[in-house]
Amino acid sequence: MAYSQDLIRNFCIIAHIDHGKSTLADRMMELTDTVALRDMEAQMLDTMDIERERGITIKATAVRMFYTHTDGKQYMFNLIDTPGHVDFTYEVSRALAACEGAVLVVDATQGIEAQTLANVYLALDNGLEIVPVINKIDLPSADAEHAIREIEDVIGLPAADAPRISAKLGTNVNEVLAQIVELVPPPAGRADVPLRALIFDSIYDNYKGALSYVRVKEGTVRAGMRIRSMATGREFEVTEVGVFTPALKPTDELSTGEVGYVSASIKSVSETKVGDTITDADNPAAEPLPGYKQANPMVFCGIYPADGADYESLRDALDKLVLNDASLSYEPETSMALGFGFRCGFLGLLHMEIIQERLEREFDLDLVTTAPSVIYKVRKNDGTELTVDNPSNLPDPSEIQSMEEPMVEAHIMTPSDYVGAIMELCQEKRGVFRDMKYIEENRVNILYELPLNEIIYDFFDQLKSRSRGYASFDYELKEYVQSDLVKLDFLLNGDMCDALSTIVHRDKAYAKGRAVAEKLQEVIPRQQFEIPIQAAIGGKIIARETVRAVRKDVLAKCYGGDITRKKKLLEKQKEGKKRMRQIGTVSLPSEAFMSVLRIN
Amino acid sequence: MAGLYLHIPYCKSKCRYCDFVSFADCESMGEYCAALLKEMRLDAAALPKQAYDTVFFGGGTPSILPVGAVAMLTDALRASFEIMPDAEITIEANPGTLNETKLREYRAAGINRLSMGLQSTNDALLETIGRIHRYADFVQNYECARAAGFTNISADLMYGLPGQTVKDHLDAIETLYRLGLNHISAYSLIVEEGTPLYTDVTGGAESLPAEDDVYLMHRRGMEFLETLGYARYEISNYAKPGFASRHNLNYWENGMYLGLGLNSHSAMRINGSWMRFANTERLSDYIMSCNQGIRPLASEPEAIPRAEEMFETVMLGLRKTEGISEAAFRLRFGEEIEDVYPEALKSLATHGWLVRDNGACRLTDEGLDFQNEALLAFLPD
Repeated sequence: MAYSQDLIRNFCIIAHIDHGKSTLADRMMELTDTVALRDMEAQMLDTMDIERERGITIKATAVRMFYTHTDGKQYMFNLIDTPGHVDFTYEVSRALAACEGAVLVVDATQGIEAQTLANVYLALDNGLEIVPVINKIDLPSADAEHAIREIEDVIGLPAADAPRISAKLGTNVNEVLAQIVELVPPPAGRADVPLRALIFDSIYDNYKGALSYVRVKEGTVRAGMRIRSMATGREFEVTEVGVFTPALKPTDELSTGEVGYVSASIKSVSETKVGDTITDADNPAAEPLPGYKQANPMVFCGIYPADGADYESLRDALDKLVLNDASLSYEPETSMALGFGFRCGFLGLLHMEIIQERLEREFDLDLVTTAPSVIYKVRKNDGTELTVDNPSNLPDPSEIQSMEEPMVEAHIMTPSDYVGAIMELCQEKRGVFRDMKYIEENRVNILYELPLNEIIYDFFDQLKSRSRGYASFDYELKEYVQSDLVKLDFLLNGDMCDALSTIVHRDKAYAKGRAVAEKLQEVIPRQQFEIPIQAAIGGKIIARETVRAVRKDVLAKCYGGDITRKKKLLEKQKEGKKRMRQIGTVSLPSEAFMSVLRIN
Repeated sequence: MAGLYLHIPYCKSKCRYCDFVSFADCESMGEYCAALLKEMRLDAAALPKQAYDTVFFGGGTPSILPVGAVAMLTDALRASFEIMPDAEITIEANPGTLNETKLREYRAAGINRLSMGLQSTNDALLETIGRIHRYADFVQNYECARAAGFTNISADLMYGLPGQTVKDHLDAIETLYRLGLNHISAYSLIVEEGTPLYTDVTGGAESLPAEDDVYLMHRRGMEFLETLGYARYEISNYAKPGFASRHNLNYWENGMYLGLGLNSHSAMRINGSWMRFANTERLSDYIMSCNQGIRPLASEPEAIPRAEEMFETVMLGLRKTEGISEAAFRLRFGEEIEDVYPEALKSLATHGWLVRDNGACRLTDEGLDFQNEALLAFLPD
């Protein structure tokens, strides 16, 4: 029996990191008796270790709650918890498309941040009703009125009636529930037309295979139906449908307006892509829901096992991760320096970091990663064009007519005190100033156009350090522009090390070459011969450092009591050496490859 | 060959570079010696019978023991173990703790080799590293030892000391040569973390000589010693013909030895297995255990697998300038060394670090400078 559409409310929560999204969700689940108190744990919806530790949401999840309003009626709430980070903008936009409303959580001590703003605009674009909420009123530095003014001034939303809450203490969270009923419209959509359901996320379940998280926009989906993916045309038989309690709970059907999961013996999440529409194969809808696009990786890097023998384990780990993350791409590549590994593509920097961390933690792998790269467009003298995401694949400079690099539009919100420092940073990163707006007396929104390849190194860290952590940042990809780019190579004892090569702007090549050479000089252990380190563009050497030779490596004393210890020391030395990479005659530790990344 | 080692963990005061366990408080010395006597009986009863070719009193500072103690320990050793009549019996001595009476006692007890911890002939350097003696103390005790009948005397030197020059080191060598020392050990200083010297150096109160100078001390010291007739027979040891330390050579032959006393180590074949074991490093545990009639082991003896025993034999043998005797290797393991380590021997030879001549595998001078690196080739990948 379908739940009355009028009594359904589908919403998400928009908040900046640490502004209290997960805590508010926890309180809502408590108040609606969705989860028994004794089973409650903090950040209930963030199930991955990394999510809990970093306080971020990587995968979208959802939960169904039942709330009895002051009108005596019981409402079905579907809360969709979305990732908030810029890397996952597309996923966020699809999750928003599955809702009619968004609860906007603003920290009463901090006000609005760049990412929040970006997501609010995204929500407004999707036609969502916004329910502003002021959180953390229990803190001494809370200024709820100020936060409300900011919402009204910056976003232009009336916020005078916004509940002032403390999610931590549970204060006034009831008001939020009441406003969701009153402000968020019930789902529209007709029940008597062919099925159209939006996939807003998909996960891999060890027992059920790939599960699609869906919002039924029209019609009904039930077990036994044949469904069709409107993006790929592939058909599957539905084995189970169900809802999130937040644990998966099978139901008979999902009808118009409802949120739940569909299991259809789909092997990999790459076959159930975010943004796709599923319909009834026997009675298909004419048009898919709008907005599907393929999420394309923007940042690439090489990932290699620290110990070459772990190549197979690395491949198995990537195979498993991609089951759950269709936006991760990888293909085998080889490097002279690092041996066999994979060229991996990511949605952005955070995505890259998360994947690396999950590989190391969940699969217990030791990795060496190369400097990240973006996709460059290269036009050769013979008129052919190609794209390059690995510096090693760049043609010889004599064959290149011109190159293009991707630009982004970056919004930076900061207290006005740091405007100077931030503009200086953007200037250093080859940014082009576009606009600056005072949001209020002492907060500024700065708009810059920046090359993506400058952002992928240390931009975010620098932004945080130069603004004492106050500035926030969001970006979106713009167009490709022609740029004077060169490949910067490093030679160790005369041998080129392909894994250290990067593509940089010509104006920055000299400084970068020198800085990396200096860093390499620090991290390369001294060997029995002198090691010249050279930075080169084409054939031209632009910087040189030297690692001095070590003169002696021997234990002065070794008598009866020293033998066991000496043997252990040698075994350790051997272990360390095994983890070194051999570039011609030079042994290189893993840190050397990271050093290219950590240059200011 | 088999050696007996006796450890005396006491020192008058701790040197600034030392990170070994030793006690400056001598109150427990009597109890410790009593425990040593008990351990001798316990070990003698527990271990296979063995005739010993060498005895070594090491420390710490064995010469800190009061008059009579060394003679008593030597008698007890002879009572519990078979000591060969021609055994080399060495005692380590600090020039600041010796005197004529003790030297005569050592001779009477059958001790025939004296190893003196001189370290430097330069009083300023001795002060820097916290030694309790001065060069004059050494000369005086050296003369006494000769007078008492010692004909086999060694001195330790250190190089790479704060403020030391290449000339200082060469001068020290020349001085010892003129005095007529039979044996010289030359160790490069290692500044161990946690020692007072480490604090001095990292805090800037002392500065070490430049690395190139330390290397020169090593190279030129070695050449000078050889010119003066001291042949290098191990990485840090030089001797006039016939005066190489038999006790220490036994370690480098990977021979059997029994260690007695606090934190002393042993290696021997028991029921066909090559075993290593060590005594506890806690003084109170050591004394209590011996008093209760229980051998004061730190843990169960460890059986060394054959492949590791082979590696130990290589690791220790390649410290000697004459290297590993291929015949001895064959006799011990029933295999040719070149069949066990074909790759290592080939690659090190190509590198100019290893040569095979006179039925032995040995490292060249350059190979000895990089002995650690050379040994890695013998470890499994």
